[in-house]
Order: sequence, then C-alpha cells, then structure tokens
Amino acid sequence: MNQPQIAVFARSAKEDTPPLRAIEGQKSLLGRTMHDIAFDAVHDEIVVTSPLTQAILSFRGAASGEEAPLRVIQGDKTHIKGVGATGKVSIDPANNEIYLATPDQTILVFDRMATGNVPPKRILGGPDTQLSLGKQNTDNSVVAGAGNVYGGGNVPCIRIDPVHNLLLVPSEGRGPGGGSILIFDRTASGNTPPKAIIKGPVRMGNQFDIYPPTLKLITHSGNNFEIWKIPESGTSTEPPLKISAPLGRQSGDIGLVLDPLHKEAIVATAAGNTVETFYVPEEFDNSTTVSSLN
Amino acid sequence: MRIKRKKVEWGILAVAVIAIGIFAGAAPEGTSRLVSVQQLPANMDVCANMDQPSAADASEATTPQEEQLLAALQQEPSAATRGPAQQERGTGDDTGGGSFVLPNTTEQLRVTADLRAKGARVPVRTIRDTAPTYSSIAVDVNSNEVIMTDNNLWSYRVFDRLSQTPKNDTDITPPKRIVTGDHTALQFNNGLYVDPVNGDIFSVESDTGDKMERFARESDGDQSPISILHTPHRVYNIAADEVKQELFLTIEFPPQVVVYPKHAKGEEKPVRRILGNETGLDAPHGIAVDEKDRLLFVNTWGHHSDFTVAGTGKFLLPAIQVYALDASGDAKPLRVITGADTQLDWPGGMKFNPDNGDLYIANDIGQSILVFANAAKVNGNVAPARVIHGPSTRLRNPTGVSLDRKNGELWVSNLGNSSATVYPLMATGDVPPLRIIRSAEESKRGVNFGRTAAVTYDPIRQEVLVPN
Repeated sequence: MNQPQIAVFARSAKEDTPPLRAIEGQKSLLGRTMHDIAFDAVHDEIVVTSPLTQAILSFRGAASGEEAPLRVIQGDKTHIKGVGATGKVSIDPANNEIYLATPDQTILVFDRMATGNVPPKRILGGPDTQLSLGKQNTDNSVVAGAGNVYGGGNVPCIRIDPVHNLLLVPSEGRGPGGGSILIFDRTASGNTPPKAIIKGPVRMGNQFDIYPPTLKLITHSGNNFEIWKIPESGTSTEPPLKISAPLGRQSGDIGLVLDPLHKEAIVATAAGNTVETFYVPEEFDNSTTVSSLN
Repeated sequence: MRIKRKKVEWGILAVAVIAIGIFAGAAPEGTSRLVSVQQLPANMDVCANMDQPSAADASEATTPQEEQLLAALQQEPSAATRGPAQQERGTGDDTGGGSFVLPNTTEQLRVTADLRAKGARVPVRTIRDTAPTYSSIAVDVNSNEVIMTDNNLWSYRVFDRLSQTPKNDTDITPPKRIVTGDHTALQFNNGLYVDPVNGDIFSVESDTGDKMERFARESDGDQSPISILHTPHRVYNIAADEVKQELFLTIEFPPQVVVYPKHAKGEEKPVRRILGNETGLDAPHGIAVDEKDRLLFVNTWGHHSDFTVAGTGKFLLPAIQVYALDASGDAKPLRVITGADTQLDWPGGMKFNPDNGDLYIANDIGQSILVFANAAKVNGNVAPARVIHGPSTRLRNPTGVSLDRKNGELWVSNLGNSSATVYPLMATGDVPPLRIIRSAEESKRGVNFGRTAAVTYDPIRQEVLVPN
C-alpha cells in the first residue's frame, strides 16, 4: 500500500481501465488499513473507516478527488478502538445504522447521521454473545517476525439483513481454518446470545456478503466461492455449495461484494492487486437451495 | 483457444526450467536454502499474506514432461542463481536464522491455470494494471543507472540513466534488468536505497512481506537477494546514514522510526527506535538523513491515535518532523515544519541535498515536488522555496525522489503513470522534464492499486469502489 485512495471504476472496467475518479488527499481524511467499505444505496453515501485515527467517515456517493467527508464519528465517547480492528464497517441503510466491531469483543451501533464525538446507540457484547472478534497485540517488544506483531490483529467483517432483521458476525472466521457465523437479532444489545449459528467452518477473507431475498451468505476462500444458507434459528450444520473459482495471485484477506442486478460477485484479491468479477447466479437463485446443489 | 493458451504457458515454463537447469548445473554441493518458510498463524496481522490456496501437486500434470517441469519449478532457489557479487557477500544462507513468508505467485498461477483447465469458473471481467507502479526511485551514479521499485508487479527495474524519452506515444523505455519472481522475495516493495559505494540495492515493503531485501547491483531476473531482514509491519520508506552505517525505516503504524545496522539480516532487532506520544510521528512516510548536520527528517500525514486506548484518534496537519540523527525513544522533534503554506498533501519520499541544504519532497496528491531551502534551520509554517508543478512537468502522483548531485539532476518516480521524470536540480515551476523513462504509453493513467483487500458496489451509478 503506497497511498490510501478509494478508486472508483465503471462496472464494465477491465484491464488497464483507469478509474473514473478517486477519493484521495489530506482533506479526504483517508488513511491506510481500510479493510472494509460500504455503499449506502438508499442515501447515496459511502461509509469507510480511518483506522489510524479511530474514525468512521461518510462521503457523498459521487465524492471525488480531495473531498472531505460529510460526517466523521470520532472521539472518546465513541468507544472506537484499534487499528486493524477499526478496519471493518457495515451499514444498514434501511434502519439508518452503522456497525463497527472492536477488539474489546463488542459491536458498536451508531446512528447513520451521527457526527463528531458521539456514543454508540447500542453495544452488543458479553459472554453470552459468544463474540470472538480477535484482538490487537499491544506488546511492543514484538517488533518483527511472523505472527501477531505490535499493533497487529483484526476483527471480522459484519453484515446486516434488514429484511429478516439479522446481524451476522463471524467468530474467528478469517483464519485459514474458518469459523462459525453468529446470527443475532438485528437490534440485539448487551449480553444477548445469538439466535442462530452457522457452525461452519466458514472460510472467508476480509469481507463476505449476503443476499437477503434468498437468505444466502457468500464467501471466497482463495480457490472457491462458498455459499451458505442462513438459518434464522438453531445451529445449521448444512454444508456450503462450493464453486471453484481460483483467483491467481492473491492473499487470504480477500474482499467481496455482490451486484444482485447482474448476479455477480466482485472479488478484490488483496495481494493480487486485482478486482475480479464472477457470474454467480447460484447466490441469487431462489429456487436453488444450497443443499440441492451438494 | 484454451488449449493454445495452455501450450504457450507450458512453453514459458519450459524456458524457465531450462534456465534453472543451466544455472543449477554449476551449483555447488550441499547448497543451502536462502530462506525458510513459516506457516502463518490463524490470527495473523491485518494485512498479512495468508490463507494461500492449496497447491496442486506435480501428479496433476497430464504428461511426464509436464510433471518434470512442475517438479523443477517447485525447487528452492540455489546459490548458483546469484551473481558473482552476491556470492561474494552472501553465503546462500543469509537469513540470520530468520524465517520468512515468501510470495508463491508461480504456484498460485499454476494452480489457477490447472483448475480453470478443469472447468473452474473464470472471471467475466478483471480490473488490474498490467504496467509497473513505481513507488520509489534511486540513481546509481557509479553505474549510470536508475532503479525503481514496482509496487504492483512486485519487481524493481533498472534503466540506463541517459535513456532518451521514447519518441512515439506508445513506445516504452527498455529496462536493462528486471528483478522479479518468487525467489526475489519482493512484495509490495515501496522504499529503496542504493549503496553509494558498491551499488547494493535495499528494498523495503509496505505490506504483507514485512521484509527488507538486499540485492547486488547486477542482480537480474528471479534471483535471490543477498540477505533478508525481518522488519515491522507497515514500512513506508528507508534512508541511510553512511557515516555510522545505519538504516532508518519509517513505520506507518504503530508509528515509529526503526534503526538497524546496515548489515542487519534475519531476525535482528532495531538498535533503537523513535516511538512514543512526544515524537509527533503521526503516520510517518518519507524519511531523509542530513549526515553533515546529523539530522533526521520525517514527514507525517497527521493521523494520530493510541490504538490501545479507545477514542484517542484525531486528525492533525501533515508535517515534516526534524530530529537529531541519534534520537531514540519518545524523543520530541527539534523543529516541525507544518501549516497551510507548506503545501504538504500526502507527502511521500524525501531526499536531502548536503551541498546546499535543500530538502526535496515528492508531494503525491499535490502533483508536485516541494523543495524547502535551508531545511536544517527552518521551522513552522514556511513555504517551499521552489515547487515543480504543472502540466508540462508530466508529474502524476509523484511518490519517490532521488538526487544525482554528480550530474545535477533530480529524479522523480510517478506512481500514477508508470514513469520517471528528471529535472535540473534547481528546477522550479511548470518545467518539462529533461528526459522521461516510461513503462507504459504516454497517456497512461495507472489504477494505483496497493493491495485490494476490500471492495463495494454502487448500484446507483453501477460503479465499483476499491480502497487501498
């Protein structure tokens, strides 16, 4: 990472197609370690974090160049903590809420229109939640070497299903072995247990996505898409549909977002320095169940 | 069509294996491995290279010839693939006992090709840059060569210093050498230093690799470095104090400057660090050494927080922090150059000219080169003495600078158009470059990807948004 721009491309962009525009520069307040990003199609806004400054930034959907964010959530009342731990953010435009996980094993929920030094409107956390969100290494004697060095560590991406009122949170899910997905009521607060669990192991990179109309969750694990059925109660042990779709040069911290209109999954390959778009109708096909494809 | 492409790929593999065979034929007995590879833990750092796809083994090859080729490609590099100078300074096991996570691009591409040949889904579209993205630059006046690190294709490229600007818009400048491949260990290489005496090339990485590789001047192709040093995560740039034979590396976060002996390798720890709340190191980037006045210049983007304490984040102005060269621990800067007049806007690489005290800064989003005069003395909100900026300059996201004091030239690497531009050392204003080294067409606008680890989609405009 040389510089932390957000580049914007036409959906049809291919090899060597330059970006239509980029959000960049000091005024943008953007910084490195943006490991998640959300687009709010209801209000036409972009939401991303500035991890090195423990901030949540909201931009106009058409933001360009050295444009300042519309709103910044930052300060000691926010409970926002960490570096990589601040890299993930999600939005529920239907209910006007922004979600952020922390290395304190909590999920913070802010009003979408909040700005400045504001407390979260809800906090989900406690032993009954079973949240296991990773933590950051604060031992500054660990300077270098494979492993969790000083300042390292991350939290998982989280997603909201406003149709079924679900909050989906991976538990230790980013490692090579995968993990489970905890499913909470969307408005869960405090020490509330999950209402459902995908036992997994669900393998994923930085981001996963969901398609609420079919109650399916999709990840990419390096060589395969995995499509999982989302249960609304109980523990699901149903295996995923696996679709072989290797990426070439890549690393495990893969980004993923769905384009439902075109039935496509857009995959950011991390170390591959590419963005690859796949046609994945299985995620959007209501008549195709995961189990029937296995 | 797929069969034809596969034949071409096998042809390339065959050439590679023949080349390996030629070199390997001269390999000494008992050649040791340059590096050892360590498996990453599950809860690895945020930017770490992890979860690589499993490799298809040689048994998946369809013919004995293919099997032989694949087996050969899976071999470790040998000391025989290094040049004479490397063999002189490196023994073939210069890891200092370190173990490193190396790129495995060859294997990933092979597995991908194999799975796709077996019917795996292929992308309908791929956004990528096929040209190098030049993050930093250095001039070797002894060999009359210009070296640039490529953050995109994981290489560094060496050009003749006197290469003339390509005549036609679609022409590119031929490099003298390209160092790239898994054996080089290069990943997201972002900072560069060239030894003024022997031409050794020091390359540091901004993501995933967490290494500094040291190459001999004449290195070429997929050649192993002389040595590798494990560095902290999130290195941006490198500078050297030749008087004390020390290397200085900026770490973006947790923000610090780490100092190593120049010969450091393996798991050697820094001899000192500038780190702490008093340092003003808020997202440090470019770094430069003033050996005469014993000063260290570090530019910062003003991104502040203590990641261990919730809600401590704040945005400050970008700045140039000036320290004593032997500063250590929670050292306060001696002076700070900051304010609206400075024009700093995501500043990148820096170089100090000891002949006249000028400090040169690649000013990425300002699309400019800023030159602060009398840099060892100035303080506060000062304007640069000279600014190179404007359409004639051909600057496009400049992030690297290098000074050729022997020939009176300033070199700039342009992240945004795969080029290097060179100017007179005292140039100012909207000046055309003296010459241009170009690795893409004249109209090139790079995508500037720097590890695409997240993505979102705008269904209103049907656009793909990709943060670095």
